[in-house]
Amino acid sequence: MSVAGRSVGKAFVAIAGRDGVRDDEPARAAAAVDGLVPRWVVRAASLEQVSQVVALAHEAALAVAPRGSGSALELGCPPARLDVALDLCGLDRVVEYNPADVSITVEAGITVSALAARLAPHRQFLALDPPGASTRTLGGIAATNASGPLRARYGTMRDLLLGVRFVQADGVLTWGGSKVVKSVSGYDVPKVMIGALGTLGVLGELTLRLHPLPDAERSWLVRLPSAEAAQAFVERVVDSSLQPNRLEYLGEQVLEAVFPGPTSSAVAVSIGSVEEAVVEGGERLAALAKAEGAQILPVPDAFWSDAERALTPSEGEALLQIASLAGRLATTQRAIVEAVRAGAPRARVWTSCCAPLGTVRVRLADTDLAMTTAITKRLRDEVAEIGGSVVIARGPSALRAAVDPWGPVDAGALALMRALRDDLDPKRVLNPGRFVGGL
Amino acid sequence: MPLSRTLLADLERIVGAGGLVRSYEGRLVYESDMHTFYKGAPDVVALPTRTDQVVAIVRLCRAERVPIVPRGSGTGLIGGAMAPQGGVMIGLNRMDKILEIDLPNRCATVQPGLINLFLTRAVANRGYFFAPDPSSQMVSSIGGNVSTNAGGPHCLKYGITTNHVLGLELVTGTGEAVRLGGKVVDRPGYDLMGIAVGSEGTFGIVTAVTVRLLHAPEAVRTILASFVAIEDASEAVSAIIAAGMIPAALEMLDEMMIRAINEGSNAGYPKDAAAVLLIELDGPLAEVMAQSERAAQICWERGALEVRMARDDAERALLWKGRKEAAGAVGRLAPTYLLQDAVVPRSKLPTIMRELIAIGARHRVRIANVFHAGDGNLHPLILYDDRNPEELERAKAANEELLNACIAMGGTVTGEHGVGLDKAKNLPLQYADADLNFMYRLRRAFDPETIMNPGKLLPSHPACGEGFRPARPRVPDGAWI
Repeated sequence: MSVAGRSVGKAFVAIAGRDGVRDDEPARAAAAVDGLVPRWVVRAASLEQVSQVVALAHEAALAVAPRGSGSALELGCPPARLDVALDLCGLDRVVEYNPADVSITVEAGITVSALAARLAPHRQFLALDPPGASTRTLGGIAATNASGPLRARYGTMRDLLLGVRFVQADGVLTWGGSKVVKSVSGYDVPKVMIGALGTLGVLGELTLRLHPLPDAERSWLVRLPSAEAAQAFVERVVDSSLQPNRLEYLGEQVLEAVFPGPTSSAVAVSIGSVEEAVVEGGERLAALAKAEGAQILPVPDAFWSDAERALTPSEGEALLQIASLAGRLATTQRAIVEAVRAGAPRARVWTSCCAPLGTVRVRLADTDLAMTTAITKRLRDEVAEIGGSVVIARGPSALRAAVDPWGPVDAGALALMRALRDDLDPKRVLNPGRFVGGL
Repeated sequence: MPLSRTLLADLERIVGAGGLVRSYEGRLVYESDMHTFYKGAPDVVALPTRTDQVVAIVRLCRAERVPIVPRGSGTGLIGGAMAPQGGVMIGLNRMDKILEIDLPNRCATVQPGLINLFLTRAVANRGYFFAPDPSSQMVSSIGGNVSTNAGGPHCLKYGITTNHVLGLELVTGTGEAVRLGGKVVDRPGYDLMGIAVGSEGTFGIVTAVTVRLLHAPEAVRTILASFVAIEDASEAVSAIIAAGMIPAALEMLDEMMIRAINEGSNAGYPKDAAAVLLIELDGPLAEVMAQSERAAQICWERGALEVRMARDDAERALLWKGRKEAAGAVGRLAPTYLLQDAVVPRSKLPTIMRELIAIGARHRVRIANVFHAGDGNLHPLILYDDRNPEELERAKAANEELLNACIAMGGTVTGEHGVGLDKAKNLPLQYADADLNFMYRLRRAFDPETIMNPGKLLPSHPACGEGFRPARPRVPDGAWI
């Protein structure tokens, strides 16, 4: 290591303390991203430290990869450079919580389960349930715009993030949005930080809208003979006055894993409300199922976490996120089956679709790089005409090096994104190369 | 600076003589929005009917660095759709078509000039509606709603405009028509649509909007509760929220407002009430029944004088009548008023109402209140007589003090009206230089020459033209290199 390198290391120690900086082999190797090993792993204990670490990196033209729980490091292109892994898990405090405001301000490193524990006594919750949520950090969920079945009713981070404090590429601490549930003063900065993978700023503090926990909540599984029948059922539900929390289409393999039975398709529904409305909702749901000739059965709450587990890829597998339309639920399912049959007939595939939106998660196992590439490309062709997308949310580095994990982005929009990135981070300090268009 | 003859000739070639307003009298119509305090007529108004015309106009203006101001129905409340620096106004009223209604995917694509309510009317018979409902929805355009990120009484439950926009076609300040977002969600890349909504025309001109449509709720129940003290009503609001309900709307009117409304209409609000709460719950019938009983009970527990529940649509309409006529009724109290829409955290509502009364007394101005209590969004109307300049000064001072009080409680400068010319100077109350600088940079990506609605939304900085330069954090000295 060069002399300058050693002095930078000393400067990091001056900022984050001896315990906050690691440059030993095991620590660095554990923080590698796509095989790229950082020179330092810095664990920040405060937002001021984050600001100083990034400012230093900016002056020394180092590349910084912010990280929370490390569960989404396989999202995006392999990084172009990596010098500093900036661990934000130490920023795990609740900054401000007044239950009467039904909102909360937290540091970005707090995990979903730690937050839930703080909220439960007040019968409130954060309505976000992305895969593996409990151990994930809120900052990571915001940076990757992760969501789960609850988005059917509550939306995504873009509907819940009210304010955000972040560190720009030159270390400047910046605040955007507000701490109240309604604000239009200035540009809606939180929106542009969501899903930006930290490339416009390292997320440090989030103000989030909360929701009251429903008095009662119950779940049902509606078994249907085909994806077409499932779509027809979903349309009946959506066109009714029912207000489900979740309305998730489950493909054959997921069903086999969590609730084996006679059919290859099913729609899982949960309703949360006051007790009498949940009971009544269940009755209506049964009537709609009957009209579609389907079987309906109640399932325990654990059903949702079981389904989630079935969708979680193991090492070396891939997870695709397809954005299509609600009206094409069956078409998209058929396209997935056909793409797999054509590209990788021996592959196993688990699918789950947020039915009112048409967003699908696809776990692929027993495929090689060429097969996953072929499947991804075929599905991208399939959704291109409606402006949909197929993102490789998880997968081996080689896969994401061979095929753009984000897929094509409209040229006009990409030019604006590039202008923004060039203006805010010309030295490419923050996560260089990982975002769309290699930004 | 008057526009060049060639520019005017080129504009005429693009939109035709009938699409250009050049006369002095014609342009006067466009000199202000509903905030008539600010006046500035454009040098010319162009009324395009197609996106390619908008593109051509922007490119033309950009070449000569002529300011462009977009305008929908002109019902804004912030000095937004007016031209303080002159230049070309683009009126979007002729782009008012519904381009597509896609019920299977519960969305619609419309041109920006379409009137908000017309969209709901087009889908109501099939059981759907467009949720953002600013009080101006009978006249305001969806493009204008997008531009200001408009709210309304029902955004407590349904969210503001941005929560209902799926996609935009935007002509940027460089004259490029770009598509941001679309029918399909989760488009990879930065959420540029998310920052374009609410950018008040400073990023460019919205020429098409794809919005979500929602299924109409099965049941709606409206409750009117009156109280002898505004503190009791504020406490009831907090208690309803704390009880785990999200009413569709939760509106409050104070004594002065109640009196003004009662004098002018038959809304029949209780005469001796110091505060009235309008609580509306919607959703599945069983939920609405249970929650409305609970809300009524909370009002009784907080010492309500009276709790009325509307039994049918006609009664509902009557309960809302007074609320909807509020702005007009103020005319009975004073010739003019200053209106703002700051927000406080909902738990601070009782505190800010006390503070507001004290501020009014200190500056010897009357303040009438009608506001979205459920989300802490105030709408104080500070009354004054514009024939008395000294009274205006007192009203302004009260307004500034109130704004400062809201910010000090962790609030925001504007909850739904927007910034415009009116509140640009107030943004530094809420944002540091670094925060404003970041916003300047967002703007620069879309409009590098600052020709789009200049002077609006962002404050100008005396020290440097391009915006606020934040101080960089200090790196520890001597430790390296």
